[in-house]
Parts: sequence; structure tokens; C-alpha cells
Amino acid sequence: MAHIDVAVTGVGYSKHVSKRRDVNIAELVWEAVSNCYEDAGLKPKDIDAVVTGNMPAFEGVNMPELWGAGHWGAYHKPLIRITTGGTTGGSVAHAAYYAVASGLYDTVLAIAFEKQSDGNSTMGLNTVALADAAAQFQQGVDPGFLASFGGGAVGIAVYQAASYMKRSGCTTHHLDKVSALCRNNAALNPWSHLKQPGLTPEDVAKTVLMQYPIRFGHVCPATDGACAMILTTHEKALKLQNKPAYILSCASCSDEAALMGISGSGTTNMDPCAQEHCKLAAKWAYELAGIKDPRREIDVAEPYAPFAHQMLMFYERLLLCEEGEAPAILDSGSMNLDGELPVCPSGGVISTNAIGASAMERITEVALQIMGKAGERQVKKEVHKGVAHGWGGAVNLNVVAVLSDTPRRS
Amino acid sequence: MAEMEYKKETRSVEGSWPMEHWSWKFESIALISKTREAFKEKKLLGLKCPGCGLVYFPPKPYCRCMSEPDEWVEVKQQGTITTYTFTGAWAYEGIKEEEGPAGEPLIIVGVNFDGSDTLTVCTLGEAKPEEVFVGMRVQLKWPENIEGRLDDIAHVVPLRE
Repeated sequence: MAHIDVAVTGVGYSKHVSKRRDVNIAELVWEAVSNCYEDAGLKPKDIDAVVTGNMPAFEGVNMPELWGAGHWGAYHKPLIRITTGGTTGGSVAHAAYYAVASGLYDTVLAIAFEKQSDGNSTMGLNTVALADAAAQFQQGVDPGFLASFGGGAVGIAVYQAASYMKRSGCTTHHLDKVSALCRNNAALNPWSHLKQPGLTPEDVAKTVLMQYPIRFGHVCPATDGACAMILTTHEKALKLQNKPAYILSCASCSDEAALMGISGSGTTNMDPCAQEHCKLAAKWAYELAGIKDPRREIDVAEPYAPFAHQMLMFYERLLLCEEGEAPAILDSGSMNLDGELPVCPSGGVISTNAIGASAMERITEVALQIMGKAGERQVKKEVHKGVAHGWGGAVNLNVVAVLSDTPRRS
Repeated sequence: MAEMEYKKETRSVEGSWPMEHWSWKFESIALISKTREAFKEKKLLGLKCPGCGLVYFPPKPYCRCMSEPDEWVEVKQQGTITTYTFTGAWAYEGIKEEEGPAGEPLIIVGVNFDGSDTLTVCTLGEAKPEEVFVGMRVQLKWPENIEGRLDDIAHVVPLRE
């Protein structure tokens, strides 16, 4: 299969906080895009195509890419928007990767963002479930009753958590430890949202129980933020950068919903924590990247974990250990910044969740670790290869990307 | 649905989706209607896939193996809890403080009814949160008036064997 080596040659972030009332959507995104142009040493005229993505239902502004095109340098260029729920940013990055890897374009700007304070994300999530929910209402399911099963993303995650704890032996103390690890890492990350230096598992355990087993301290914040990344060919990247990061492979896999089937039918995806399709996507991504033993070859991991148990669950589903081993690996200190396989050195999605941007930020963070540009959150070990992941809601899409300091065919 | 938050610095526009006017032609509705009718005889009807043998309850027009389930089979009214949660303090956005935490926490469970290969979501009654576990055996509790609605099968209680 023809394949052009794809390099990350620039990364940019906006400020990430819960409410950016000082800027509008286009201006917020411009912060990330301008930082990215500056980081890459490029100008809008150097870009061949633009891929952008968010969840328009969350802001209540549809087709924001048309509003933003001028701000982002997308006039007179191919422009496409991609929306895949929690995986949006990952899907955007994958599309930009395909555009370069296929040889269609040399240099592509990928943009992912969410400005949640402009709208109502819970309402937006309801519109995602609307088609199926409407069919259930017509068959005699009371809307209030359906809502009692747990609204939005927390409602999905709690079932995943309960079955993961049963399957892995993970305790609530492990959940508390994950939150403490991530929020302390986030304190070292200048663009992260929830910085809690010195947070202890005991502090997390004291936060209010939302829905068993998830406490307030186990949940991501709602963030306004944007991320941008410029991908280009190996040859062009070497003219711009001493040490670019390469995207070796991308893979995604979808599966049946994990709680309720279409229009109230049953779902055979019986265990919400099984995430078999994440394992498939990871397997495909490692195969494409030429990685035979991910446990030995991967140096850093950025799983998509807005809820504490997901960091451990997806560590396992990304094939970085046997099933059920992640809680003990957390206890060993291996996941820390100075550990053997640091996890979420950025602070992860549990610390910063501008939903549409989050899955792309996993990729940019692994790229920065490989380039050695992660600042205070740079892991202690030398980073050659890393894995970045995204997860999208009840529809269960998983996206995986593998990055490296050397291109695929060298 | 959460009440629209009216923000001082923005304007909100009222809107609605008239869902009662939506029409559904696709097959899953016809299949589920048959299963709902059978509730009136206190029977659970699932649909078995000829390709891989998976039994869908409630039924689904296509299987994950991409075959079309076509054989009606009766599913048992006992099952096993595969996952669960219960509501905690109502302290987050979307739920009003005054609506809780009065009364007992609501326990919500994923149930795999015997003879099916699917998960359905139900509420668990006659049990305390600390008594629930993955693997717990439960049985369906029919409502007093069975109307052939999907939520006729939405309540389970611990199986007393």
C-alpha cells in the first residue's frame, strides 16, 4: 500500500477554562490556530487543506467552520468538518493524516475545539440520543423514566465502571489515585483546565458521590478550548523541524451500543467495559505501525479518560498489559511521569475536556513528548513511540493513533 | 431534560421538537411491537439469529454478524445482573437540589435474561444499594396493569430461589 510518511510539524492550544466569555468561537479557535502557525513556522498560504471538527450541538451553533474559515486561514482551500462525538478530535486528526498519507495534499491543518459555555452540552447530548429515544417514547417508555437511567456521558460511564471494577479487581481507591495522578500532572501543563497540585487520593474520596461508583472528583470538567495541529510530509517536515514526530498509523473501530440497542432492542454488547473494538483498533494500529510488542515498544500513553476508571480500562484495552493488571501497574508507580510507561502526562481528559478537541489533544500531547517539547510535563524517560486514543459515547467508536520519532519506512 | 440555563450575557431562543409526529417505518418497531403484545400474556419473546445463534431480547432486525434474526424464542423471566449503579447526592448540573436526595437511591441494573444474549436496563427494587453485585440473580416484576409497553419489563427484584 502506497503510504507517504506523515509528520506533525506544529501544535497549538488556546487557553482552556470553563467559560471563555472574552472571545467567541472563531476567536477562541484562532488562538490555537495562530499558536500552531507560529510553532510550525508556517503561514495560511502554506496550507493545502483544512480539516476541522467539534460537536455543534454542544454550542448550539451549526456549521461553525463557515463562520471560522476566515479566522483560520481556510479561504480558497479544501475544507471539511467532522463530528464523531467524543472521538471528534481523533477523527479530525485521522482525516488530516489520510489526506497527507494518500499523497492528495502535502500540508494539512487539523483543528478541533469545543466552547461548551456557549450552549448546553447536556441538551446537545439529548439531541444525539433523540432518534432512538423518540422511537422508545412511542412504544410506551416514559421520558422521565428513560432519563432516570442516567443522563449524558456520566450515565454511560458508571455502568462501565461497575463492570470494570468487578472484572479487574479495581477498587474505589484506585479511582481516587487516578484522579490524583492526572490532576497533579495537569498542574504542570500550562494549557490544562483543572490544575490541582498536591491533590491526594484521600481528597478525591471526600468528594460527593454522583452515581455509584463515580464521585465528583472522578469526572472531567466542562471546558472551553481549542487545539490545532499541522501535518506534512517527511521531506517538508525536515526543512521546518530538527525533530518532528511522525504519525505511524491510525485505526478506528465501531461497535454496537453498550447499554441499549436501537429503538429499545437489546444489545449483545453486554459488558460495557469489554471495549472489544478498542482492542481491535489498537491491534490494527500497532500492526500498521510495525509494532509487535506494544508493552515493550510504547513509551508513553494518552488514553481518552474523562472518568477515572477509563484510564485503567483503556490502558488494558490498548493492549499495554493483560486484562485486570492495570490497577496493580498504577500501584507500582509505572504510570507516573517518572515511571516505565507514563500515562496521561498532560493531565488527561479528566483534567481538561473541551469535548471535540480532547481526542486530538491526546495525539498532540504524544507528539510533544516525542519532540521533547512538553516542558514541565515532559516524562523522564526517553520517548520514541507513543499511543493516543479516543472514545466516543454510547455508540462506542474507538480511535487509536501510533506516533514515533522515526518515520515508518526508515 | 435539564431546564435551559438562561445566561445573563447571552440570549436564549425557545424551541421544541414535535416528536409525537415522527413516524417510524423500520422493522425494529414492528418486531418490538410483537414482543410488547406478548407481554400481555406475561411472555418474553426474543429473536434468534440463524447465522450465529445469538438471541436478541427485545428483538432486533439485524445481528452483529450481519445476518437477519428470524426465529422467535421464549426468553426466561429470570436473569443475571451484568452491571449496576445507584444514584448519589444530587449535586451536579442538570438535577435540582430540591428533587433529592429524598427517599431511597434509585438502583439501575443491566440485566441479561436467561435464554437471551443481550443486556437490557432495568431498575432493581426490594434491595439496598450495598446488596447489589455483578452476577446477582434477579427476576422480572410485572406491573399490576400490563399494557404492552416497553417499560412493562423495566423492573426486576432479587430472585428468591
